[in-house]
Amino acid sequence: MLKYFYVTKNSLMEFLAYRLNFVLWRVRVVVSILITYFLWLAIYSGRDRIFNYTQGQMLTYIILLTFLSGVVLSTQTSRVAEEINSGNLSNYLIRPLNYLSFNLFRDLADKLINTFFAIIEMALILLIFRPHFILQTNPLNLFFFILSLIMAVILYFFISLLLSFIGFWSREVWAPRFIFFILVAFLAGTYFPLDIVPRPIYALFELLPFTYLIFFPLKIYLGNINGFFLIKGFAVSFFWLIILYQLVKIVWQKGLKAYTAEGK
Amino acid sequence: MDTITVSGLKKYFRVFKRREGLIPTFSSLFKRKYFEVKAVDDISFTIQEGELVGFIGPNGAGKTTTLKCLSGLLFPSEGLVNVLGFKPFERKNQFLKSISLVMGQKNQLWWDLPAVESFRLNKEIYELDEEIYQKNLRELSELLEVGSLINQPVRSLSLGSRMKMELIAALIHHPKVLFLDEPTIGLDIVMQKKMRDFIGNYNKKYKSTILLTSHYMADVKELCRRIIIINRGKLIYDGHLDKLSQKYSHHKIITAQFDNSVDIQKLSQMGEIKSVIDKKVILHIKKVNARQAAVTLLEKFKVSDINITEPEIEDIISIIFEGKAHA
Repeated sequence: MLKYFYVTKNSLMEFLAYRLNFVLWRVRVVVSILITYFLWLAIYSGRDRIFNYTQGQMLTYIILLTFLSGVVLSTQTSRVAEEINSGNLSNYLIRPLNYLSFNLFRDLADKLINTFFAIIEMALILLIFRPHFILQTNPLNLFFFILSLIMAVILYFFISLLLSFIGFWSREVWAPRFIFFILVAFLAGTYFPLDIVPRPIYALFELLPFTYLIFFPLKIYLGNINGFFLIKGFAVSFFWLIILYQLVKIVWQKGLKAYTAEGK
Repeated sequence: MDTITVSGLKKYFRVFKRREGLIPTFSSLFKRKYFEVKAVDDISFTIQEGELVGFIGPNGAGKTTTLKCLSGLLFPSEGLVNVLGFKPFERKNQFLKSISLVMGQKNQLWWDLPAVESFRLNKEIYELDEEIYQKNLRELSELLEVGSLINQPVRSLSLGSRMKMELIAALIHHPKVLFLDEPTIGLDIVMQKKMRDFIGNYNKKYKSTILLTSHYMADVKELCRRIIIINRGKLIYDGHLDKLSQKYSHHKIITAQFDNSVDIQKLSQMGEIKSVIDKKVILHIKKVNARQAAVTLLEKFKVSDINITEPEIEDIISIIFEGKAHA
């Protein structure tokens, strides 16, 4: 187990080698959050409730997005495709090491460092703009929030791994990944809370795994939800967790077969 | 017991046949044509514990494919492969802990970190005790003379130093079997020599079994008593390096220095004249006639110096590669 701790440690040290890159990445994240923040501030001017969200709830949603993208959406799995295509995957296969766990712990480094900065940035935004921020204190809400967050992390890990596995069959991984992540950003609710769309579309969203990456945990945090919403949400995301896990296993095995048959 | 047993190993790759032109390319999206490449075609050999065997062949002969089958990276199309009692492709942890594969053109080190961080990770991966790790690291560092370079980011190291680090990372767990795929590629002569010395010493010191591929004949000549030659996926020769010339070369080389200029016509009756530089003549003469030719030269010509040698190993091997061996 200690070996995976070293994977995280080494990955963290890698970040320090590219400090400027990382700082600029954070700037990008903050700018995009601020754009959404001010957009909604403008939409709310004079009104205190839109689509069933108070101004405070909406702004809290937007600010917490920073935190959630740090925890859920940070990943290094794009390197999986690289490693497959360059043949460097061989270097992992010939050592007694589980490559999937290796990736999980490499991602952990990414999540730790991004979340750390996200918390600082959130504190700064709160200090500078002093919006009405809802601090959830109900332990039950917080418990389910954390539980849904853990599920979101694993769901996203599986989805992004699967996208990288395209590398086993094609060299063109970057474009599908890029397009898919724009789609995910929209479907997960990183631009707006998903339940502001028309009812039938939202009903469809509820069946997709993406809803449970961002929107579902944040909705639990904000409160005013009922037991049915919780049970349904956890059931669907658990269903996807199982499906995606099986899919990852199957595609990995098939991919490995293709990889070892080709002899890169 | 044999450390490595390979019998009837075949590895065929299905290669997608590309067609030229826009429409054929497009239609090939739907209907693909494949052809088979026989990368390794029915090879058998065994290697004993502690042997250092050179594995040679031209580009695309199937060397790397064979090494990959032996280390468990490739699934054999046919045949049996046994390494240390394991089927490599199952990649059991116990098997992986006892082998190592170093590919001259691929690296396992963390590019942006000092090499020592990669070693530490390997220590954990191979579950080495701190004491053993420190001891192995110290010994390997001394053998390779790397000093404090292990604390520098890998990206800032020269190719030669990086290769040394790759070797330390690959050997930190003292594998029983070591596969080296062109470990000296791209290195300068001095560094090649150092690498060779290290591999030879390592083999002697730890009795590990080493299978080495290289394009540099010097590597093989200096390190390996036994060589295996393959070409186009077939095994051509397996045996002692010295016996290679007996089997495949049918001539000897006589270099003669004459006192006066000689009649080339007369010389050409004895054998093939390879070069004439001033009064020095190099002749290729059939083995059976070599003795007689030397006598003739000494008796009938004024020779100040005469030298009879076996052809260079490089020459013999290039004869084999070009397929003239059986002609």
